Parts: sequence; structure tokens; C-alpha cells
Amino acid sequence: MNKAGNKKGKRNWEPYIWLLPSILLISIFVIFPILIVFRLSFSEISKAGVIGGFVGFKNYSDAIHLPAFKTVMINTFWWVLSVVGLSTLLGFIIALVLNQEFHGRKIARSILIFPWATSLVIQASVWNYIIKYEYGSLNSVLLNLGIIKEAINWRSSYQIEFVWECAVGIFVTVPFVAFCVLSGLQSIDESLYESAIVDGAGFWDKLFSITLPLVRPALSVSTVLNIIYVFNSFPIVYTMTKGAPANKTDTMITYLYMLNFYDRKKGPANALSVIGFVILCICAGIYMMTVMRKEENL
Amino acid sequence: MKKSTAFVLSLTAICVMAAGAAFTASAEEITLDVMMAQYGPNTNEWFLGSGMDGTNFVEKFEAENPGIKLNLDVVSWNDIYTEVDTRLANNNAPDILNMDVFANYASEGLLLPVTDYCPEDLYQDFFPSFMDQSVIDDTVWAVPDLASARALFYNVDILEEVGVEVPTTWAELEDVSQAIIDYYDGEIYPWGIDMTTDEGQAAFAYYTWGNGGGFVDENGDWAVNSPENVEAINYALGLINNGFTNPNPATQTRYDLQDMFAAGKLAMLIAPNQLPTYVADKEGDINMATAAIPANEGKEGSSVGVMDRIMAFRDDTAEDQDARNEAIGKFLKFFYDPENYVGWVSMEGFLPAVNSAVEALVESDPSFGAWLDVLGSCQFYPTAKAEWDQVKQGVIAAEQSALTGADIQAELDALQAELMG
Repeated sequence: MNKAGNKKGKRNWEPYIWLLPSILLISIFVIFPILIVFRLSFSEISKAGVIGGFVGFKNYSDAIHLPAFKTVMINTFWWVLSVVGLSTLLGFIIALVLNQEFHGRKIARSILIFPWATSLVIQASVWNYIIKYEYGSLNSVLLNLGIIKEAINWRSSYQIEFVWECAVGIFVTVPFVAFCVLSGLQSIDESLYESAIVDGAGFWDKLFSITLPLVRPALSVSTVLNIIYVFNSFPIVYTMTKGAPANKTDTMITYLYMLNFYDRKKGPANALSVIGFVILCICAGIYMMTVMRKEENL
Repeated sequence: MKKSTAFVLSLTAICVMAAGAAFTASAEEITLDVMMAQYGPNTNEWFLGSGMDGTNFVEKFEAENPGIKLNLDVVSWNDIYTEVDTRLANNNAPDILNMDVFANYASEGLLLPVTDYCPEDLYQDFFPSFMDQSVIDDTVWAVPDLASARALFYNVDILEEVGVEVPTTWAELEDVSQAIIDYYDGEIYPWGIDMTTDEGQAAFAYYTWGNGGGFVDENGDWAVNSPENVEAINYALGLINNGFTNPNPATQTRYDLQDMFAAGKLAMLIAPNQLPTYVADKEGDINMATAAIPANEGKEGSSVGVMDRIMAFRDDTAEDQDARNEAIGKFLKFFYDPENYVGWVSMEGFLPAVNSAVEALVESDPSFGAWLDVLGSCQFYPTAKAEWDQVKQGVIAAEQSALTGADIQAELDALQAELMG
């Protein structure tokens, strides 16, 4: 009895021992830095980076009252919504296409992974060159094909520049969604479609009654991960515009970087980073809860 | 391996390590943590590779200065601020730092006064006008490591083809720009402007200094919203709105402009003295010449000098402060020794900060002579004022807001109010 109890106790501890290295790594590299940022957000930090005493919510108040705060928050909203939303839609459509039998399907799948597998800084730099007014390849291709008569300034206003940033964001995010959905699609039993066809179901019926409900878990994972990745994405905006002009194309992450290392407003930058963390937790939390509730109801 | 053998071996290793540690401590060796900025591809080679006649700075220094070890890092300009900030936040400041700004560190008591460590003969060798740029409360907190001066560069062939002279005033600049636009039907940009986050403060300096304004007034107090400044920036915005410049000044950096100039797509730009080297590296074949930066009618133009510094941080934990100061002094002596310094300055095409290097430099490249004259009449950014970071970012933000239609007067007023508040 006693022996059996010991064995049971040992078995209960076993998973935790196996998990210990991961828990330690996560604590050192994730939880500990987060706690430091929390502490810094309530501390006075000099321009030279020297950490002073506790200042309460002063850094938060300063951050919220920064002139660019509102613009940056609106930009961040549109950035996350457009990149996550459109890349999910496009990724889903591409996954449906790639799930069909056709010649060169393997090649098409391989090509799709390129934008995702390449470094974001390189992607953004390449797009910078493509849309460059003076010697951009987009202009030279269109001019050579005779589609346009003179070069177009593809970055003529900050609104358009922001749209380009979102477009590049979508371009690099689509493959991830497509592959997530594709894995979901491949696990759907073909017989379900066959029965549906026998029952007279059309394309849309199959899509909404079979495909969508069954790939929902894959879509949920890709959407939650994308919300986090896209919100935290730094390279595209920083490489393409550095938030110029006057923070009008900044998202929260690039803005807090500029605030910290260019403007040297370190306290508000730390406060902003905590605000971002909380927003992200709330968004991801709401989404997860909604999706999980729906899945439970299924 | 037998257990007993392994035990003996590990015991021996521990004893050797302990003896080594004891030996290091007894030798009273000083190790200086040095962080140098990366000016170009040759900087690493110079300090750590084999760019110094087959050897490197660290090896040569350590050979000539026994008892002093250098733990030297070359850090890119993109990372240096982050790295210094991180080290300061962790109470791990370098002993010697090579960077542009110093005022924040000085005003927070983190730096040593230069006179504490700099040998007298070397102190006297620095150009006095350069040393003046690093003074706060009558104390010099950093020494200049090198400088560059800005001037107007123009494509001689384009101006000759159009049949115009190089402009000296703002009105002439507009006329010349219009003539170039008319002649080339807009194919060539007459004038380059960089109002990016990288160097928008330089644009502010070029135009405001050419209109009798600037960052500070005659008393050295912030005066970013002076009528002269507002007029000057409105003039620059006018050049952009009239189509005389590159189309996206908020995102086209100095390097984009230099590339356009090297490709013959841009007729005139204000650039540092290294532009000919840059154009040659880009395999551009441009017939270029330099001239003074155009100023407003009746106003005196001035060249723009940019200077970086070497500073030494305090280390209250150091046991022997005098020995540490002496080691820092030896580092500086070695760095500025003409035998080493001339190679360093000319390697990346910069201008020297000490008199003793001038003769050798002019001898090796006569064009240095003209630039040294320019340097004598340069104005510098007010980097000795602790609010400089804020002003620098503030004027860039004001310019960029004005590019999107905001009123520059209101933008500069807001910045001035922030500085006064």
C-alpha cells in the first residue's frame, strides 16, 4: 500500500520534472523580462538610462498624453485588423486552391512558403526597392510593358505608405495561414463531401457546412498567433518608413522603440509596452474564450 | 578513465585555474572596457582585424603598453545607443566610449572630467573650437575623435548643360532649380532634402543657420520657434512643394540622395566631405564640385560641422583610480599619436580633431586643406545641452508634420513650449 502510494506520487511528479527545463527557460527569458518591464514602467528612468525611484502611474499618464499616442493606437488597430483579417481570408482561399489536385501543386506549395521563410527585414527592403519612385522595379516593369507612360510615385502620401506596409504585412502572413488551413483541410474525411454531393449540396453548402466548421480549430490557432505576431511586428514598419512622417505610419511597437531609443523617453516607452502587453492579453483572451465556447457548443 | 585518475586530473585543473587567477591579480593588470563606434567597413579591421599594417589597434596598444589590456568592442551606429543604455541600466558602463552625444551622461554625473585623465600635451593638441562643444558648467567632459563638414556638392555637367551658375542665395537656388526642371522636363531633381528620422535635424540646421536662426539664440537658450527659423523651414517646404526636390523627403535618407547624386539623377545636395569616396564606391562617375551652402539674401551662410567624441565613464569600484585614469590617458595618447591617428582618420575619409595630424593629412591628400578651412568656420549642433535629444527629434517631427500639411509655426511653438516647460 505504502509502496504503491510512493509509486503514484513519483508518477505525479514525473511530468513536472520533464517540464522543468522549459519552465526554467520560460521564466528566465520570458517571465523575468516581463516583470522587469512592469517594474520599469513604474520607475523614474533618466535619459541616460539610470533607473530611479517609484513614480506611480506617471509614466502611464505621460505615455497617454503624448501627441502621437492617438494616431499610433489607431494605426495599430488598422494594422492588426487589416493584416490579420485579410491574410486569413486570402490564406483560406489559397489553401482551398492548394488542396485541389492539379499539376505543379507541389511547386505551388513550395513557392508559397518563400515569403514566410524569408527574413522580414529583407522582405521589407525588397518591397522598398520594388515601389521606389526613381529606380523601382514596379515602375520599370509597368513602363516597359507600356501600361504607364511616366513613373508613378507609389509613396506619394503617408496614408499610401501605411497601406503599403499593411500590404507587405499581408503578403508575408498569408503563407502561415494557408499552411495552417491546409493541414486542417487535409484532415477532413473525403467521404463527408461525397455524402454531401449525394444529398445535392453545392459548393457554398459544402464550404459553410463541412469545410469551415472542420477547419475552425486550425483557423483559431492561426488567428490567435497572428494577432500576437502582427501586433508585435517591428521590421516591416521600421524598415519601410521608421514611422515617418511624424509617427503617422508608426504602430505601437515601432513607436515605443523610437520613444525609447530616439526620443529617450524611457519611462513612457516602458509604460506603453505594458499597455501593449495588456491589450494583447485581452484580445487573445477574448478570442480564445469565444472560440473555445463555440467549440464546446459544437 | 579510472575514477581516481579523473579526480587527480580535475584537482590539478582547479589548482592551475586558481594559480592563474592569483597570478592575474598579482600582476596588477588594468583592463579597459572600450566601446568604439563603427564608422564603416574598415573600422573592425582597424581595431580588431589586420587593418593596421597587418596588425590591429588592440594588439599594437597592448604591446606598447604592458599592464593594460583592452576589452574593445566595435559597435554599429544602429546598436550603440541601445547597447550603452543597456549597460548603464545594468551598472556596467564601459570605461571608454566613442559616440556622438555626451550631455545626458555628463549631467547625470556618470562621466569623468577630461582633465582627470587626458595628458596635458594632448589636451593642448585638440582644436579649441572642438573642445568648446563638449563643455558643460565650465568642464570639458569629452574629447573629439574626428569630424566631418558639410558643403554643397553639385554636378558640374548638369549645371553647365543647363547654362546656370552654382547658387549662392536662396533666390538663386530657386531660379537654378526651375531652370533644371525646365531643361530636363523633371527627369532630374535639382535639389536634395532629407527630413527623415535619420538626419532631419541637419536639414533644420542648413536652412535656419542660413537665415540667421538656429537651435539656440545668442545667449545659448533654446529658440527653435524664432521667426527666422519659421521662415527658413517654410522656404525649404516651398522647394519641396514646387517640385524642386526629391519627392519623399520624410523617407528618403541622405544615403538615398547620395545614391541619386551618384547616378546623375540629382543635381545638387548638401553632403559631408566623404561624398566623393561614397560616389566612387558606388562606381558613379560624376563630375562634381563643392561650394558654400546657399543662404538667404543678406544673411551669412555657415557650414555644418558634425563631430563625434570619446568619453570616459566613472567607475567608483576601481581600486586605484589614478592608475585607471593613467591607463585611459595612455589609450588616448596612443589613439591620437599621428602614426596611428592619421591612418584612422583618412581610412574613412574624416577630418582630424588634433593639430598634430593636420600636416601629415594635407601632405597625403591636398583636398584636406580646403576642408580644414571649412571646418574652422563650422557651426555645430548644441549637443552639450541636455535637451538636445528632445530638440533633435522635435524638429524632425515638426518638419515631418509640416510635410503633411501642419503649420510649422504651430509645431515649433509647441516644441519651444515643451522645452520651456
